[in-house]
Amino acid sequence: MTDTRSTAKAEVPDTPAGRSRRPRGRPLLYTSYTQDMALLDTRAKKIWTGLLVLLALSLSVVLADRSLEVLAGAYVLAIGAIGLNIVTGYAGQVSLGHAFFVAIGAYTAAAVSGPRGGEHLGLGLAEIWIWLPAAGLVAALFGVLVAPLATRLRGLYLAVVTLGLVFLGEHVFKEWDHLTGGPGVGREAAVPQLFGLPLDQDGFATKEQQLYVLMLVLLIVFAVAARNLARSRIGRAFSAIRDRDIAAAVIGVPLTRYKVLAFGISSFYAGCAGGLFYSISGYVEPGSFSLLLSVQFIAMVLIGGVATVSGAIAGALFISLLQPITRSLPELLPIVSADTTVTPNVFQVETVLYGLLIILFLVFEPRGLFGIWIRVRTYWKSWPFSY
Amino acid sequence: MTVTAQRLETIVTRVGRRAERTPDAVALRHKDFGVWQEITWSGYWSQVELVAHALLALGVEPGDRVAVHSENRPEWLYVDLATVAVRGITVGLYPTNPPAEVAYLLADSGARILLAEDQEQLDKALDIADLERIVYLEPRGIRGRYDDPRLIHWPDLLAIGAAHRAGHPDALARRMDEAAADDVATLIYTSGTTGPPKGVMLTVGNVEFAIRTLVEAGGFTSPPPSERDLILSYLPLCHVAERAFTVWFNAGAGVQVNFAESIETVQANLREVQPTILFGVPRIWEKVLAQVNIKLDAASPLKRAVTRLWLRVADRVGDTLVRTGGAHTPATRLLYALGWVFCYRSLRERLGMRRVRYAASGAAPIAPDVLKFYMGIGVAMHEVYGMSENTAIATANRPGRVKLGTVGEPQDGIELKIDEATGEIMTRHPGTFAGYWRNPRATADVLDADGWLHTGDVGEWEGGTHVRITDRMKDIIITGGGKNVAPSEIENALKASPYVKEAVVIGDQRPYLVALIGIELDTVGEWARRHGIAYTTYRDLSERPQTRALVQDIVLRVNERFARVEQVKKFAFLPKELDHEDGELTATQKVKRSAIAKLFEELVEGMYRA
Repeated sequence: MTDTRSTAKAEVPDTPAGRSRRPRGRPLLYTSYTQDMALLDTRAKKIWTGLLVLLALSLSVVLADRSLEVLAGAYVLAIGAIGLNIVTGYAGQVSLGHAFFVAIGAYTAAAVSGPRGGEHLGLGLAEIWIWLPAAGLVAALFGVLVAPLATRLRGLYLAVVTLGLVFLGEHVFKEWDHLTGGPGVGREAAVPQLFGLPLDQDGFATKEQQLYVLMLVLLIVFAVAARNLARSRIGRAFSAIRDRDIAAAVIGVPLTRYKVLAFGISSFYAGCAGGLFYSISGYVEPGSFSLLLSVQFIAMVLIGGVATVSGAIAGALFISLLQPITRSLPELLPIVSADTTVTPNVFQVETVLYGLLIILFLVFEPRGLFGIWIRVRTYWKSWPFSY
Repeated sequence: MTVTAQRLETIVTRVGRRAERTPDAVALRHKDFGVWQEITWSGYWSQVELVAHALLALGVEPGDRVAVHSENRPEWLYVDLATVAVRGITVGLYPTNPPAEVAYLLADSGARILLAEDQEQLDKALDIADLERIVYLEPRGIRGRYDDPRLIHWPDLLAIGAAHRAGHPDALARRMDEAAADDVATLIYTSGTTGPPKGVMLTVGNVEFAIRTLVEAGGFTSPPPSERDLILSYLPLCHVAERAFTVWFNAGAGVQVNFAESIETVQANLREVQPTILFGVPRIWEKVLAQVNIKLDAASPLKRAVTRLWLRVADRVGDTLVRTGGAHTPATRLLYALGWVFCYRSLRERLGMRRVRYAASGAAPIAPDVLKFYMGIGVAMHEVYGMSENTAIATANRPGRVKLGTVGEPQDGIELKIDEATGEIMTRHPGTFAGYWRNPRATADVLDADGWLHTGDVGEWEGGTHVRITDRMKDIIITGGGKNVAPSEIENALKASPYVKEAVVIGDQRPYLVALIGIELDTVGEWARRHGIAYTTYRDLSERPQTRALVQDIVLRVNERFARVEQVKKFAFLPKELDHEDGELTATQKVKRSAIAKLFEELVEGMYRA
């Protein structure tokens, strides 16, 4: 095998490899692997992505603060959804325990940035560039600890085991008052402070505008990182494991190492999302990290599109924007109550909707919102034929 | 290495000069491991130098033959140019040549060295004792399994060349300085529809005249080709047409040559490369048109309706263009612009002809309807005419002065006449070949004392400027009633249908004309599937009564366009797909009439008996 490869190279000694030039207007003519693997391989994609980012930035001045807050939250959830997509979508390891890693991130961030010697555990390091990586790393550590389970279990069993994590975590967080403040009470969340500038207070712009831009920038960073990961050697190993782990092992992919890596990276994303999400509202309550949160993330991935970064972002936006709509239901539909003690209430409607949407998407468009986009694009790309 | 001014201009010195002037510009591209690898002029030149030195080291003397048996790839060009550089003679073999033909060609040419692409081609040549060296490119299945002392792996050949260059740095320059215009540069074997193939000797002077006429003076394209043009090289390089469009266009004008991976991937490669100059044989153009129809039938209803509408418009645009000779009128320009938005732009992109500024069909007669389709969708299509014996220099339709159904106007600076008695087309110019290899008798048959080349094609003037070719002289049918009939016109009208792949009209010394028809398996298969007709094999599909009715209908419609004596009265289906291996087609996919008539004698007799 190696023998033939070396001779193939020897045959074309004067062929310069990897030069990135090509004749104009021939998007399919790749003269190097760099072009073939490029994130934005056509001019149209470059232009449209640029316009999309500009649009998102301009929203910060156009929209009202209340909407900006919802969108900022959506961006953070998108980071978490991308994380789940890495382990479930790309690497194919079903995880229901995403809420657990989000919680770890949220509490690590809160503990690192919280005031020293206060009512709750705190280290007094409010700078975001300290607590954000810390939140991610601690969550990743737990991910790596859990990962060995995934190397022994597959499919349904792995789902059940990760489900167990959520219940374990819920119990610990409810009991550990010094860290979490206890059920129903909660504690202050991480403070987003950048180089001494507290972003959660009105500064050179309103609080919501600052947070919106921060979350947008972080989302772009995390999304690009994930896209790069997916097209790298690691990403290809993940896909191989997803498609058939036995076959992947046979072609030389070390299963344990890559499954651990998948859980580690995914948990890192979850941890960062956890730390950031609660810094918007400024308050964490241990009851929020229930199974429902895990299901929400799964809904985002499935509705958006499995194993695509843009799909995860679309799914997160879709689910987050669903919330303000369901919350306004009581005004339109009097039978639905805003009170949690009455049945049916908005939270129940929300849960039912998540379930329903997951079912509908899985049955009618398993590739999610991204799949719909692909379908539309293919229709026009294949014009005037159908294939 | 410097190119001295007084040295005779050859394709080699042309490439050498480009390597000096634009060392980093792209000369060639070939697809390797999924990526189009670029070869610059300097890279190209250094490989040619190495191979040339290697040939010197192997003792190639002026006039020695070096054979190449490979698909189109850069090494083909390296060896071709290196051979010319050392004043040798390149002999090209078709990759599809069966072993018996390879043996004949190698023995007839007396080649000393052979470049074999892979194990398949190597196996065809191992028994030829006269070969001194066999260079192979793909080691798979060869290395470690064959112990013939004549074998050299390509990298080893380059190593020999490098060693020779180190020892004799100016040996190659000295050999190149000796080059003379009447050195034979290449043997191009005719496809041999009648007898065994004959080697056409083209000299360095012939090739230079061809480059000056066809490339530099813009004998085909207008404006002439340049470094910005791209070409896809996919037809066999041992044929004079592909050699002209690949090697001569590249050396003469710097056109970037892109090698297709194989003949099967031409469609995909066309889409990737989007060449600006595209040459095809009729079979290719017919096949692409048939593919368009198949894919349209399978498209969604909206797409089908929209595209069919615009293709009808294209047909009308094509009609106007045929009348004007290829120049747009304001009305057609407007229609075309609209259609471009809805259909032609994407259709041409899918076909890989989005950027084609000049398309040509040649090497065999083609039905005008096929050409009109391409003109209608905006691909500037030109029928051209030439043959190995006159270095492909005879006539061409010039952009803006196209006359459909003709092969165009004679090239500038050549003499062309049509014999009044026989109607045979004759040419005379510096591109006329030096004779058939070791066959002076055959040479004397086609080359008369005054230097006129008898092409063997019967033609007539149309409007005093354009030449229309009736048929090959020896193919003309004289019916039992004494009428002269040109079968190729009828055959091409039949083959214009997407369902007909082969048509052979027979009727010499017979009361009426009959035809042997081979169906196109792809399109008829698709048609059968849509109509719920079950079939197993090619033969089974041919024998279905529904297929017979389908073809009957085509034959009847074609008959309407011809005079009574030219009508096909009966037809029979060929029971198999014609094949080069079985001796029914030539390497260029031309039907060997005599072989067909003999092989399917039963069928033919049956049609006359009943």
